[in-house]
Amino acid sequence: MIIEGGIVYDPINGVLGEEMDISIEDGRVVEKAGGGEVIDARGMLVMPGGVDAHAHIAGGKVNTGRIMRPEDGRRGTEPRTKLLRPSTGYTVPNCYAIGYRYARLGYTTAFEAATPILEARHTHEELEEIPIIDKGALTLFGNNWEVLECVRDGDLGKLAAFVAWGLRASRGYGVKVVNPGGGEAWGFGGNVKGIDDPVPSFDVTPREIIRYLMRANEALRLPHSVHLHTNNLGKPGNYETTLETLRAVEDIAATRDRQVLHVTHMQFSAYGGTGWRDFESRASDIADYFNKHNQFTMDMGQLIFGSATTMTADAPLEYGNARLLKAKWSNHDIELEESSGVVPLVYGRKNPINAIQWAIGLELALLTEDPWQMIMTTDHPNGGPFVNYPEVVALLMSRRKREEEMATLHDLASKRTSLPSIEREMDWNDVAIVTRAGPARILGLQEKGHLGVGADGDVSIYEINPEKVDPSRDHEVVKAALARAKYTIKAGEVVARDGEVVAVPQGRTYWVDASVPEADAARVRADLVEKFAKYYSIQLSNYMVQDAYVTRPRVVRAGVI
Amino acid sequence: MRNIVIRPRRHFRVPVEAERISPDVFAPLSIEEIRSLEVWEGNRRAALSELFDISGDDGPGRGDETQISLSGDFSRVKRVGEKMTCGRIAVAGDVGMHAGNGMAAGEILVDGNAGDWLGREMRGGRIKVLGDAGDYVGAGYRGESCGMRGGEILIDGNAGDYLGEHLCGGAITVLGDAGDFPGIANRGGTIVIGGDAHLPGAEMASGTITVGGRARVLPSYQYLETVEIEGLRFKKFLGDLVEEGKGELYAASVEEGRG
Repeated sequence: MIIEGGIVYDPINGVLGEEMDISIEDGRVVEKAGGGEVIDARGMLVMPGGVDAHAHIAGGKVNTGRIMRPEDGRRGTEPRTKLLRPSTGYTVPNCYAIGYRYARLGYTTAFEAATPILEARHTHEELEEIPIIDKGALTLFGNNWEVLECVRDGDLGKLAAFVAWGLRASRGYGVKVVNPGGGEAWGFGGNVKGIDDPVPSFDVTPREIIRYLMRANEALRLPHSVHLHTNNLGKPGNYETTLETLRAVEDIAATRDRQVLHVTHMQFSAYGGTGWRDFESRASDIADYFNKHNQFTMDMGQLIFGSATTMTADAPLEYGNARLLKAKWSNHDIELEESSGVVPLVYGRKNPINAIQWAIGLELALLTEDPWQMIMTTDHPNGGPFVNYPEVVALLMSRRKREEEMATLHDLASKRTSLPSIEREMDWNDVAIVTRAGPARILGLQEKGHLGVGADGDVSIYEINPEKVDPSRDHEVVKAALARAKYTIKAGEVVARDGEVVAVPQGRTYWVDASVPEADAARVRADLVEKFAKYYSIQLSNYMVQDAYVTRPRVVRAGVI
Repeated sequence: MRNIVIRPRRHFRVPVEAERISPDVFAPLSIEEIRSLEVWEGNRRAALSELFDISGDDGPGRGDETQISLSGDFSRVKRVGEKMTCGRIAVAGDVGMHAGNGMAAGEILVDGNAGDWLGREMRGGRIKVLGDAGDYVGAGYRGESCGMRGGEILIDGNAGDYLGEHLCGGAITVLGDAGDFPGIANRGGTIVIGGDAHLPGAEMASGTITVGGRARVLPSYQYLETVEIEGLRFKKFLGDLVEEGKGELYAASVEEGRG
């Protein structure tokens, strides 16, 4: 396949809006293709396929959301066609809709953000049913008993061996940490209030859990860093916890060419105030810190007005949401590993809290100077569904659009945040970074997020001429063009044309196989035999995700030996 | 007024999804065009004229001057008048589930019985049933936090269980009895039951329920006083206290015994 004459943005390879041809053969970008389909992209924007580094798209929580929200299922229904299976849902779409909708947006890769090992089989059952895109899942470690015990005993070798085992058991890609210690405390009706608040029964603190998991992650040289959902997330005044957490790990160095810690959906962790009455943005404090510490990255967790379904392993947070909103809710205890919760809600423009939250996400993205440090997400579907990504890009590219939106919001969005004074408007290179190159680099996906020779042949082409359209003024044109890719190309095959899905290949699932010294692995096995005999509701032999659950794997090797 | 008459050609063994039978859909169409509208019979797509005889005044016409007369057994015909905003539907016989679902304005008259989910999530307009109605009258469908928000439903006979579940507005009047849990999880609106009711207002946050006959009242309701309304004496209760509810429940006669 040859994509001719498009205006290409490929930040990893330093291509900034140059007119050039892209050749793809056998699913990979090559110097020159021998033949095949020719796509005329003259006058169009060409970028690597979009990469979503943090979305809740598969597994137990997502399905609980679907079960709790039949009314959401009825929204966004699309009947089956000769090619496509039926779609349902808006905030919690069915598996097919997730693949189709990503493809329509020009996205070709998405990572499920939180999977307990115990429920990983369910996650993979759903990932297998998501068509088109490549995917992977991050595995939860922050409240696992074995982790807490290794931290308590100061046994880094065993911890690294357990992380490697957990990734293999869950066919997971990276280390996710959610409200470390808090999920375990919630099993007894409590929570941790800060990074030095000890976890009941284990005598370890969130600070220690985060530090040890980061050190294990780096010892294993995993492709992705620790992916952290902070303590006190969603609470007024939590920016101090966030900064304290970052300061606590400043001395830890990455062992690969990437960040040492990714703090996810930062919008929910950048709050000031002592309560909801004096709730305010502290985005500028967070952004200032990131501007001085380039070893850390974050994603937006941008809020989208309208319906959302919050779902997280942070069960005490969800309990609080449910009490506050009088919404229907679900809470779940995941044995020795985690807790979790699901609460549907509606973000309102005239709700002062929601209006401030909306502004905080944008402030963070615009005040962080280096776009490689701050990538775009909505924490789908916590901040809002991923189908709204074009809206977020338009907001990042147009101050005018931000002003138009702010005029429709509760006036505290202007008074309690710095957004009205921010002039910055992202350009197409910034957008290519925050939606593609950045997420791929942060996840450590070598062959994603760029169009250099050897990269995956994942390309998105949009019917918008970056040389002619002024995104600041014509933000509606930007949003419309990004919402319906002219072409989405996955591994050299056109999967969407003019915003409609035209082919449904099956993507691959990334997971990380990390090697560890046999002595450490043996100590972990001995612990696990005891834990399963004493505490788990299932047998160890039924616990591991078998190969049958990951039919098209893409295994990334890592480890200490 | 333009009158369009629809009669089933045969007995339906599986339900027909007939949300196209609505004054909004029919008004701009000629009779011939109405005949070719598509509906689903079970999992089979069919032209309206395959299933029904369609006659009456030819169109097009205005929505608010359109009357659809359904004659015969429509008890397996679902979603009649869904989301209608104008005109009138008159049913001589029974009508199936989900009649008047989400309707915003206009009128549905049923000279017979109505199935379950009558007027669910209704926004406005008026539905009158001369016979009985099934379960979930004016309710919210699975998962919805609001059922009916406005309009009026009148049932001359009895209503089934879960009458006005999740009601957020509007008014429902049942002259006969209501089944289990009328007004469950209500957040507004008015329900009047002429006959008896069993456990009205469970989880009610706000709204008003009046029972003219006998009611078994939940123990989570607080008795306030006896009041006189239009010459009749009612016991007034506040609840549902398990939801810190501010709903008002009036019952002419209270059934003793455990809830």
